Amino acid sequence: MPRLRDSRFATDCTVTFDGHAVPARSGESVASALLAAERLVVSRSSKYHRPRGPFCLSGSCGSCLVRVDGEPNRRACRTPCRDGMTVESQNAWPDASHDLLGVIDPLTPHGLDVHHMFTSPLTVNRALVTFTRRLAGFGRMPDRPAPAGPPVTPECFDALVLGAGPAGLAAAEVLAAEGKRVLLVDRDLLPGGRLRTGLEPGAAPPSWPAGVLRAVTAAGGEFALGTTATGIWRDGGSPVCLLVSDDPPRTRLVRAARIVACTGGHARPPTFEGNDLPGIHSGRALALALAEHGVLPGRHVAVLGAGPEAAALSARFAAAGLDATQVRGAVTLARGRSRVRSLLLADGTSIPCDVVAQGEPPAPGPDLLRALGVGVDWDPDIEAFAPRVAPDGTTSVPGLLAAGEVARPVSAAEAVAWGRRAGEAARG
Amino acid sequence: MGKTILCACEDVTLSDVRRAFAEGHRDLESVKRYTGFGTGPCQGKSCLNAVVQEMIRLGATAAEIAPFTPRPPVQPVTFGSLAALDPEALPVDHGVPVPALPAPPCPGPSGPLPERADVVIVGGGILGLSLAHQLTLRGVREVVVLERSYLNAGASGRNGGGVRAQWSTPTMVRLGLRSLKLFGSFAGDTGVNGWFRRGGYLFLAPDGSQVKRLERNQAIQREQGMRTRILSPGEACAVVPQLDGSRFVAASWNPDDGVVFPWPFLWGYADAARSRGATVRTFTPVTGLDVQGGLVRAVETASGRIRCDTVVNAAGAWSPGVARLAGVNLPNRPTRHEILVSGPMKPWLGPLVSALGTGLYFSQSQRGEIVGGMGDPDEPAGISHGSTLRFLARFSRALVGYVPLTAGLPVMRQWAGSYDVTPDNNPILGAAGPANFLQLNGFVGHGFMMAPAVTEAMAEWMTGREKDEIFDRFTLDRFASGGGVGEDFIIG
Repeated sequence: MPRLRDSRFATDCTVTFDGHAVPARSGESVASALLAAERLVVSRSSKYHRPRGPFCLSGSCGSCLVRVDGEPNRRACRTPCRDGMTVESQNAWPDASHDLLGVIDPLTPHGLDVHHMFTSPLTVNRALVTFTRRLAGFGRMPDRPAPAGPPVTPECFDALVLGAGPAGLAAAEVLAAEGKRVLLVDRDLLPGGRLRTGLEPGAAPPSWPAGVLRAVTAAGGEFALGTTATGIWRDGGSPVCLLVSDDPPRTRLVRAARIVACTGGHARPPTFEGNDLPGIHSGRALALALAEHGVLPGRHVAVLGAGPEAAALSARFAAAGLDATQVRGAVTLARGRSRVRSLLLADGTSIPCDVVAQGEPPAPGPDLLRALGVGVDWDPDIEAFAPRVAPDGTTSVPGLLAAGEVARPVSAAEAVAWGRRAGEAARG
Repeated sequence: MGKTILCACEDVTLSDVRRAFAEGHRDLESVKRYTGFGTGPCQGKSCLNAVVQEMIRLGATAAEIAPFTPRPPVQPVTFGSLAALDPEALPVDHGVPVPALPAPPCPGPSGPLPERADVVIVGGGILGLSLAHQLTLRGVREVVVLERSYLNAGASGRNGGGVRAQWSTPTMVRLGLRSLKLFGSFAGDTGVNGWFRRGGYLFLAPDGSQVKRLERNQAIQREQGMRTRILSPGEACAVVPQLDGSRFVAASWNPDDGVVFPWPFLWGYADAARSRGATVRTFTPVTGLDVQGGLVRAVETASGRIRCDTVVNAAGAWSPGVARLAGVNLPNRPTRHEILVSGPMKPWLGPLVSALGTGLYFSQSQRGEIVGGMGDPDEPAGISHGSTLRFLARFSRALVGYVPLTAGLPVMRQWAGSYDVTPDNNPILGAAGPANFLQLNGFVGHGFMMAPAVTEAMAEWMTGREKDEIFDRFTLDRFASGGGVGEDFIIG
């Protein structure tokens, strides 16, 4: 079974996926429970009806959208399991594993030129519009109106720290020590971010995240877990952040003299043929699911990348008893039908595998910073856009700071140090 | 040959990016629009860097990979969550300033500008491009369209795609009907799909005075052969079962109105005009108009000067600035209009629905998103494309009020464009100032839907054929003489 046999990882609840019972652990994400149950395909893709399943498991990609208790287009990776929860696949018939429209993909080996196909005669064009509209869209309308959350009263804090990973925790710790009233927010139910993967054990003591939360509270601040920063606007002339949590539903509107964005980066999908096959995931997310919920993603893991993160991932998967191969060379093709079965390398070697872990570090995630006008530059070294964040965490926008992988790939220890500097810069 | 998927949300392949680039969509904003990458649920978080890597491999310049404008929200947020906000606690604001029309100097493989043209059209929105298409159809060869940014950068690429003939004056009804017909034949005429769908328009009237207005309009519309009907709330709920029928007292329904996907219309008209000899040049702002002896003799740009017989000002919200280059003052006031899309849903909403008195309107796009906007009576004049939370709160409250089931749908992206507003809500057409300086602007949020019919009539007139009465009626002088009947059926 792809969950470690260990009492620490015992399941305690059941969700259903397309009518099948899926054992789960309260609080783990639906995506994690589905991986453990080897149900990798949760929908079909928008145009070619290719099998789709969780990739990033961290709310960056859009590959795990499911229907949860009658509400469409929910990210399986952002939805904590609750006993009796009903999860359904989307955009597939009869189901995501056996979708009749899956024939579109092999029938269109060169893709579809949607702008120029079937433009005439008029009757054919009209039929195209009618037909594609039926196929289009993703989730079905909700069964009933969503429950309304309580009315929102705007709140003010000395500092709003977004993200309780190494950088955010460090920044919040410094600010709390100064007596600042901090609101520390993380979309996960536990603090720690990447520290929870255990891939970089020396970066901070295991008890540190909980200690920071206590310090934040002791200084009159607050922490909000399971809470997503959905955006920052400038209404009223100063930044205002909209925080949303689902269970219970609550919307918060927060202004703060200082905002420190430590929301981390975005997992990078690989870019070879067949790169979207289920079974290809962010390595870090797999390590987290393994560490916290004992989820074994498969038996034969190919880890992409030549850097320290890929090496640490390979070691971690091997230690869990998996057959782990670190793939340093260029991959040209992933083979498989509804799940990856092997990788073909540029030198002709074939690597059999049932799971691929992206071991390249995440790309910067500058979205929140860009929303307030921070510029980005293309960095050819990391082949990604990186926001302009100074070593002390400051940006071109007064009162807006950032630290850690939101800005560029750094180790967890470096993220802690950067977060501390940003906290110091945000004190004044 | 299998597929390499660069954007998993919208199934955009490596080949799609290569094809777009090869067809001249070289800058990132254009590649985004032509391929659709970055427009799905992840909003580019997963795919942006991979697409740019490929563009660099293909030879894109630093200016061409300037990242596309950030669009809030950063993570999807449901209409229900947003409806919990009090919009009145969020005063009108410009939002984060965004460059209204980014104009990177794109040294693409475009060659020099022509030295001379019969007609230079300033503004590569749907009005300018459709006029170029219509002129070249009538044998005018030397037509140049100058767009200061990428195609679809202005209001033509920012609107909700609603196209209707339900108007309040016989002239507008006639033009609306003609446009609908031309939208219908667009794909066949240009070889580019515009996804025109006649799903109808449903106007909801909240009270008796609005019902009277609808009945007045209905009489005018039926005289011109339209099938407009006044529906009871129950009948309207048969058209859109998800509506809360207690929120309105009657509705006006024309099943022949529709919606389009706006972007392809610019590509299609540009391609069609180019294939008959026109030049369409992007990233080429007009810097001067050389006026001598009561005529515009040449149009000046950073990349050269074009001598010409006629200049058409089709620059939308930027028209007053262009007119000033010829010493002409236009009364147009650009006004921001905000709009949003939800995540993609299976089809459930046939028509475009507009709730009179609130400014709210929404429809469902071909891809399944709810596309909607809502005018803000407090919006000041000025070009401003910042997005606000106030708009999200106002729109969500109104939408969830009319369609309670939408509370659970996530908002995916919001943006803003400019209405080009005139004092009487009607366009400015024909010569103003220099005798060969023609106006084609001031369309107050309905320029897209009027463009096919108006530009067809304008091309007829410009090529010495019939002169439509609109070119006598909607002149700039009407404001000086105080004449003209205002249009009161503006949405948003």
